[in-house]
Amino acid sequence: MQVILEGKGLSKWYQMGEVRVEALRGVDCEIYEGEFVVVLGPSGSGKSTMLNMIGGMDQVSAGELYYRKEPLHLADEKQLTRYRRHAVGFIFQFYNLMPNLTALENVQLVAEIAAAPLDAASILNEVGLGDRANHFPSQLSGGEQQRVAVARSLVKNPELLLCDEPTGALDFATGIHVLKLLKKFQQEYGKTVMVITHNAGIAGMADRVFQMKDGKLARVYRVDAPVTPDEVSW
Amino acid sequence: MLKRKMLRDLMENKLAYLACLVIIVIGLTTYTSISIVMENLYRAKDNFYADARFADGFARVSGMPAAHLDRLARIEGIGEIEGRQVKDVRVLGLDGERNVHLRLVSLPFIPGEYERPINAPLLVDGSPLNEEGRELWLSPDFFAARELKLGGEISLLVEGRAVIFTVAGTAQSPEFVYALRTAQEMFPMPETFGIAYLPASTMKTLFREQDRVNDLVFLLEPGYTYAAVEEKLRPRLEPYGLISIFSREDQVSHAILTMELQGLEGSATAMPLLFLSIAGIILYTLLKRMVEQQRGQIGTLKAFGYTNGELILHYLSHALLLGLVGGVVGGLSGIWLSFSFTEMYAQFYQLPGLGRELSYGYLWRGMLLSLVFCALAGYFGCRPSLRLQPAEAMRPAAPPPGRRTWLELWTFYWFLLTVQGKMATRNLFRSRQRSAFTLIGVMFAFSMMATTWYFRAITDFLIFDQFTRVRTHDLQVAFSRPLSLPEVERELKAFPGIKRLEPMLEVPATLKHRWQEEDTIILGLPRDAYLYNILTDTGQRVDPPTGGVVLAEYLAAQLRAPPGTELILESYWLEDPVRVAVVGVIPQHIGTNAYMEIHALNGLLGRGSLATAALLAMDETYIPLLQERYRETEAVASMEASEALLDKVRELMQSFGSMQYIFAVFGFIIGFAIIYNSSIVSLSERQRELASLRVMGMTSGEVLQVLTFEQWLLSCAGMLAGIPFTIILMHTLSRAMGSELFSIPVIVEVDMFIVALAGTVFSILAAQWMLSRRVRRLSLLDVLKERD
Repeated sequence: MQVILEGKGLSKWYQMGEVRVEALRGVDCEIYEGEFVVVLGPSGSGKSTMLNMIGGMDQVSAGELYYRKEPLHLADEKQLTRYRRHAVGFIFQFYNLMPNLTALENVQLVAEIAAAPLDAASILNEVGLGDRANHFPSQLSGGEQQRVAVARSLVKNPELLLCDEPTGALDFATGIHVLKLLKKFQQEYGKTVMVITHNAGIAGMADRVFQMKDGKLARVYRVDAPVTPDEVSW
Repeated sequence: MLKRKMLRDLMENKLAYLACLVIIVIGLTTYTSISIVMENLYRAKDNFYADARFADGFARVSGMPAAHLDRLARIEGIGEIEGRQVKDVRVLGLDGERNVHLRLVSLPFIPGEYERPINAPLLVDGSPLNEEGRELWLSPDFFAARELKLGGEISLLVEGRAVIFTVAGTAQSPEFVYALRTAQEMFPMPETFGIAYLPASTMKTLFREQDRVNDLVFLLEPGYTYAAVEEKLRPRLEPYGLISIFSREDQVSHAILTMELQGLEGSATAMPLLFLSIAGIILYTLLKRMVEQQRGQIGTLKAFGYTNGELILHYLSHALLLGLVGGVVGGLSGIWLSFSFTEMYAQFYQLPGLGRELSYGYLWRGMLLSLVFCALAGYFGCRPSLRLQPAEAMRPAAPPPGRRTWLELWTFYWFLLTVQGKMATRNLFRSRQRSAFTLIGVMFAFSMMATTWYFRAITDFLIFDQFTRVRTHDLQVAFSRPLSLPEVERELKAFPGIKRLEPMLEVPATLKHRWQEEDTIILGLPRDAYLYNILTDTGQRVDPPTGGVVLAEYLAAQLRAPPGTELILESYWLEDPVRVAVVGVIPQHIGTNAYMEIHALNGLLGRGSLATAALLAMDETYIPLLQERYRETEAVASMEASEALLDKVRELMQSFGSMQYIFAVFGFIIGFAIIYNSSIVSLSERQRELASLRVMGMTSGEVLQVLTFEQWLLSCAGMLAGIPFTIILMHTLSRAMGSELFSIPVIVEVDMFIVALAGTVFSILAAQWMLSRRVRRLSLLDVLKERD
């Protein structure tokens, strides 16, 4: 399998006044095309920081990061924007939908800026919200909002889907529903999905699991027989 | 500790608060400076009028024996009455391009410490007048403008001969605070016109009239009105050839000063109100947003036991600090500005005792005003969130519900929009109040800039209108008394270089319609006159009528006399009143006259064919020759070359130019502050939304577009609303400023709106440029965090 992302000695520190906070301390990792990776770790372990680096939302302090051999650690703001725009889809814990756009419009908003978008309406159908297309976020439940968020990140047909605690704000059944969508996207479209969570239950459905601790990759292991989202429990 | 928090809160949005502060400062600077100038002017005026015993009533007659004054003094209601001789004479040896004139005013007695005549000139510099020698006092502005010396000599042309006077001193009378030679002039021109005061005994020796007076001034007995006295006095003066009789209110110098003071009073109220309201609105939205944003903090503070009162005080202190700083800076700069303002006024208004006075009263008042405005804005801004219970306050506010808007009913417009555009459109309705403020603010900024241009257009128009369309002659020769028209023509036509000669007859008259009456000058012009044109509002030339009169708009309005009305015309040139019909009304922009065909007017008067002036179109090179030829002629009062006059007026107009640019800058600041403030607030409200857009791959430019699209929608609406608003404003200003001396036309020019559009767009772009820096700094990581 081809490497889609490669990190060498990834480090990130923040200068907080006179104190230097090291969020990521020399992480080496490879992510392959089409795999489902779960990053596990307690709060403060550096997993969100890693997602920020990989998602092109922040610059690394030291180390190298390549997306399909392109050095992201050398990219300027413009190139990072282009990377986010065309290669990456994001799903947030708190959905971050535009409150004054309907479900369909939220999806179209992203489709408008993508290079080769999928059809917004049919993606919305696929996540099971075809009949709620003209509702505003305030008229949708949390699970529905997260499904809109999923549709929104899928519509631009990204290579890489990054999810930050996608089920964190949802009840169990709704969470499972969202996980199914992610799995479906990975399997049917052959895209790479990276889920960040502190929920160890989700790790069971991954191809590989990254365990993080104190800004370092503590353990990486392959799941021999990933379970289906229906079998996940927490 | 809360104090420190306050300062940091302010620093976070320093530019927005700074813009707000600048507007407060502008408001208070205008308030303080105008109020102080006004107070200085009022004080100087009142003191001067009282000291100099400024007359309550004035009358001009062609001649009355001085001995008859006693009889008039006995009229009920007249406290004191004095007669004077007032004569305009030419000054010899000082002529430049224009002739120089002095108005000689005789003094019944020399003003002393204890006894002063009515309208007593107060000695500014020099020594008392000596009745023995030929001494006079001069008005200080003329004295200064001509760089004369005390004890020096000045030569006057009196009744055709040169008379040498000694300048004993300079003196100022309340009658000539704003000294215009004729009501047709716009500004005092001290280089070419001044006032001279001399003892009646000296005056007597100069003119043939000897013991006659031609000018009366009187004071009223307490408890009597001018109108009641005029009613009794008028018939008593008619036998002496009453030219005009008017109250202090209609006295030119006083009327202009009063008008100016009223204008200042209006500005001293309107300007600070406008600026402080705008600052208040900005402060209100800023604080409201800050309090919303700090919900969690407020909840925490409340949970710790801070009382509502302490928290209100904390948030109010932001506003009060701004109010205080704005008040102090605005007040002090106002005081400082009032010095130069007062000096500027002193150039136009000769009021002894008008000087820079320090007045801290207005500083305090201004500060109070600013604090009250800011406190109100702050209180209303922070009240809603403070009502919450601590636990409720700590929970994030409910998400703003998305809603469809009526704009979506315009399917075509909606169809054209990108999703970003749709988002922006709905955002307009998300915070209706703020959208409305932004729209109104842009409208104000736009109108302020358009009005600035309007004033420019007016001055240009007035000058253009007066010198290129109404008075198209090259030289006006005014006679010191009516001359026979054929003789004038015979005399002047022979002179080389004259291309065309048109006589003019100016007849002082009173026009009456029912109970309205107005004093005016009827201009008699030849039928085919084109050196002085009567123009309609569309610029069409109208022939002077042979039957009836054409009236200036202002005159027609005062007399309530539309075309077709029959008026009664009285004049000391006429034995008995005659009836004339109004046949037309025209907009006369400078001065107020009635017009008739010259032969018809002469026919009406029945004194033969007369003229009081000749208008000449002539070869420029011959003008100095002609001026030289008639300089010493007693029958010629003045020779005015239009070109020289135009230059003079242009020069004076330029001093007003800077005021316009100041207003344009104010408009720009308002536009900038309104847009910047509203975008800062939107940005902070939607930080998370906008950062998500960035994470999803929008460039900061695209994110900025979401905000700016919204602003442009509002600004376009604001600028569109600014067009009718400006026109309403122009009509209001035109009505407010129109008078007997000026009629201010409403000029709607595309230019004006283009300039305002450019200025407003520029201020919006500047605000958006500042905004773009904040959008670029938007933290993408914030979106991943929990809601604050």
